[in-house]
Amino acid sequence: LSYQTNTKLLREAIFKTKQNKTKLFVSFSFSSGIINMSTQRIDPLVQVETTCRALLNELQIIWEEVGETDADRDEMLLELERECVEVYRRKVDQANHSKAHIRQTIADSEAELAAICSAMGERPVHIRQSDQNIGSLKEELRKMLSQVEEMKKRKEERRNHFIDVLDQIEMIINEINGSTESVSSETVVDETDLSLMRLEELHRQLHELLKEKSNRLKQVQDHLNTLNSLCSVMGMDFKLTATEVHPSLGDSEGSRSISNNTLEQLGTEINKLREVKIQRMERLQDLATTMLELWNLMDTPIEEQQKFQNVTCNVAASEHEITEPNTLSDDFINYVEEEVSRLEDLKSSKMKEIILKKRAELKEISTKTHLIPDTQLEDAIEAIDSGVIDAATILEQIELQIAKVKEEAFSRKEILEKVEKWLAACEEESWLEEYNRDENRYNAGRGTHLTLKRAEKARSLVNKLPGRVEALTSKIMAWEEERGTEFLYDGTPVLSMLEDYANLREEKEQERRRLRDQKRLQGQLIAEQEVLYGAKQSPPKPQSAKKGSKQCTGVPSTKKVALGGPMLQAHKLDSVNSPRISQTRSNKKTEFMLQNDAIPASPAFKRGQDIADAPFRKHPSNGINTNEIESPLKTIPTNDPSNNTMTPLKTISSVDEENRKPKAMHSTASVQMQTDITPPPTLQTSLVEETHEEMEQSFEEKRLALMHSDKQIPSMIQV
Amino acid sequence: MTSAQPPAPGRELSNPPTDGISNLRFSNHSDHLLVSSWDKTVRLYDASADSLRGEFMHGGPVLDCCFHDDSSGFSASADNTVRRIVFSHGKEDILGRHDAPVRCIEYSYAAGQVITGSWDKTLKCWDPRGASGQERTLVGTYPQPERVYSLSLVGNRLVVATAGRQVNVYDLRNMSQPEQRRESSLKYQTRCVRCYPNGTGYALSSVEGRVAMEFFDLSEASQAKKYAFKCHRKSEAGRDIVYPVNAIAFHPVYGTFATGGCDGFVNVWDGNNKKRLYQYSKYPTSIAALSFSRDGRLLAVASSYTFEEGEKP
Repeated sequence: LSYQTNTKLLREAIFKTKQNKTKLFVSFSFSSGIINMSTQRIDPLVQVETTCRALLNELQIIWEEVGETDADRDEMLLELERECVEVYRRKVDQANHSKAHIRQTIADSEAELAAICSAMGERPVHIRQSDQNIGSLKEELRKMLSQVEEMKKRKEERRNHFIDVLDQIEMIINEINGSTESVSSETVVDETDLSLMRLEELHRQLHELLKEKSNRLKQVQDHLNTLNSLCSVMGMDFKLTATEVHPSLGDSEGSRSISNNTLEQLGTEINKLREVKIQRMERLQDLATTMLELWNLMDTPIEEQQKFQNVTCNVAASEHEITEPNTLSDDFINYVEEEVSRLEDLKSSKMKEIILKKRAELKEISTKTHLIPDTQLEDAIEAIDSGVIDAATILEQIELQIAKVKEEAFSRKEILEKVEKWLAACEEESWLEEYNRDENRYNAGRGTHLTLKRAEKARSLVNKLPGRVEALTSKIMAWEEERGTEFLYDGTPVLSMLEDYANLREEKEQERRRLRDQKRLQGQLIAEQEVLYGAKQSPPKPQSAKKGSKQCTGVPSTKKVALGGPMLQAHKLDSVNSPRISQTRSNKKTEFMLQNDAIPASPAFKRGQDIADAPFRKHPSNGINTNEIESPLKTIPTNDPSNNTMTPLKTISSVDEENRKPKAMHSTASVQMQTDITPPPTLQTSLVEETHEEMEQSFEEKRLALMHSDKQIPSMIQV
Repeated sequence: MTSAQPPAPGRELSNPPTDGISNLRFSNHSDHLLVSSWDKTVRLYDASADSLRGEFMHGGPVLDCCFHDDSSGFSASADNTVRRIVFSHGKEDILGRHDAPVRCIEYSYAAGQVITGSWDKTLKCWDPRGASGQERTLVGTYPQPERVYSLSLVGNRLVVATAGRQVNVYDLRNMSQPEQRRESSLKYQTRCVRCYPNGTGYALSSVEGRVAMEFFDLSEASQAKKYAFKCHRKSEAGRDIVYPVNAIAFHPVYGTFATGGCDGFVNVWDGNNKKRLYQYSKYPTSIAALSFSRDGRLLAVASSYTFEEGEKP
């Protein structure tokens, strides 16, 4: 519009100039004033005005000089005007173009701004503002551009932030995953989403990752601490172990690997070590237990124990309680093991000592009780040394044997004493025999009275001997029957000894008889000779009562000594204190008794047996006393086992009664049955007493008796 | 008596006898309950259904009863008769007679015989299959030292408790003479004797609140196991009140047993462990009889005055 008016004005001006040249200037200045209206710079315009005026003037002058016609002049002016218009149009077009361009630029910038804003998640407030604000396009463009610039800058900043965060995230993730590849230098940032929210999200992620990382670091540290303690307890090189897991773990400085793999490896390493530790601990505890046992067994002095106090104090400790460094190291365990083996050796040597001692004891007991010691244990030590048998079992065996031998000795004691007495008596007997053979025994001399006394004693002993032998035999037989074994005295069965003795005795008796017969024969021979040679015949009187009675007077006859053998003499001397007849009978009896085993039962034997048995028959009633007459144990009856057999029956029955009462009753909490057998409580109900006062009748009987009454008692049944 | 007391444990059967109960027994085949009473009746109940199935009048008070099978039973009456009752027909035939009231009756499945004990100091065995007529049914009569007070059977063993604290143990296969003659180990009159279900012995109760557990085996080891215990007593102000123990019943499955006394209590005992397992709350009056059902699920308790204190108003 302004262009059209301008052109119109120009045409008007030019047309006017045709009529009035002065007016043209006005119009010119007017048009130039229109063109330059926006610019307030006056100087160039004025210049252009003056230049134009001067040029027109110059042209007029030239024309005046040339004498151009008005037509030419008009044409020139028109041309000038046309050229001017052309120039204007071009300029206007140009200006239009540039305006369009600016608008385009603004729109572009606006778009860009919008894009940036949307990417950054911000509202594009500026555009709205610029719409409202009516400024020139250029101004607007400038503003816009500056805004765009600013936004770009901010975007760049934001992007850097993103890159930064993402880099960190990636780094941590890599660390966690343990991928060794270095962080890629190009971090791809999603350009379309750079909003704060996203950033925040990434920050959160980063934060989380950082937290995880710190957790892992802590975990790694924990693991390393555990590892360290384990290593120290077991005397291992911690650094080496740690480096084995991951090289970065070895040094305390620098970042440590926190990858899954490392953690896992650490875990497995720790488990492995823990297992090793438990193994070692168990081993050590075993050793410690053994050690304690050995100490206990051998009363090891405290000073020696003190050295291993730190071992034994861990006997009952659990795995985590053992934290002291080096307590589980190989060296230490070996050290303890050595000590244990030393103690064990000591123990075995002591065991051997004990075994030897025990064996000696066993032998001693055996010899004391005239038992044949078991020779089975003789080579025990060799067996132990060769490892065939355990020393403890040997010891146990020996102990068992000792107990057995002791028990046996106890059971043999009574009989053994009798045997010993009997042997002593036998000795005495043989001594007596010897003594009797001594022809000069009655010669007075030093100590003769003592010998005489001894002989007297021995005689009475020998008289008692048959009875004793009998008692001993029956006793041994009873013992043997009870035990089912032979009663051995230093390996020989006593019964056979007794039998031998009896045989010997019989032999002696026979010898004696033979001598007697011989003597009688001799006597007869003498008599015959006397008859033959006219000597006075007298009846043979070899063993008349008269002679016997003569003997009884105690007057020794040297003639008899000359005639009879020592045996006969002995026999006669035997009977010196008793009437002859009774003596012979008693001898006879003795003989039978001694034949106890050798001769099958004959009436006479039976009789003897009966007599011999008599004291034993009495045994149940007062057998103890009859036995005790000869028993030295009489003075210590409490030790006499036979005494116990006679404990009053009363106690047994009382025990029995107690047994009837159940024992388990007292400890239980629930209601117990009252099972005492004591007489019923003193306070009886009248009804109970009633029942006993009258003749015994049950309730039913009483009731039936009273049935005549019509009364009926209601009752009920419940289920 | 019933109404004044607080409700006793268990379910009360309707239509109870009108006079004291002398005994009750569960059938071996069902939950039927046979009850004998001083009101001269024998009643048959279905305990699970709580119904009275039959009522059989007798000539005198009935002192004991037992089942034969589910269709018939036997009764011992104070009118000296031993009767057989056929439930379905309401029919009664007299198996035989004693010379005095018949105190107790048992049916032995092992021997197929009815065994009765009477105050005429005899034990009689009856063959219930025999045709009517005493000569045919009576198997044997066995004199006893005293009046028979209680009988119990297990397998072929028969334990007879009589007055004078005598106990005779018979083998049913040889009744000619007792297998064992014993004296009660308790000092007072025997009230009840019951064999252990396992057949090794018997429990015996007396009027003086005591129960003895005895064993048949005479070996020392077995006899060492025997014992007696006090029960059904009350201590009041320093006075011991002792009640008769009227009834013993063994649980058929567990071998534990219940005792009932004149104190109105029913106690359940474990004889092996010597413990009381349970005490039912007090019944209104004396416990006259007890019986476990065949599977031990039910315990019948007869609570009725047993005349321990003579005539009561």
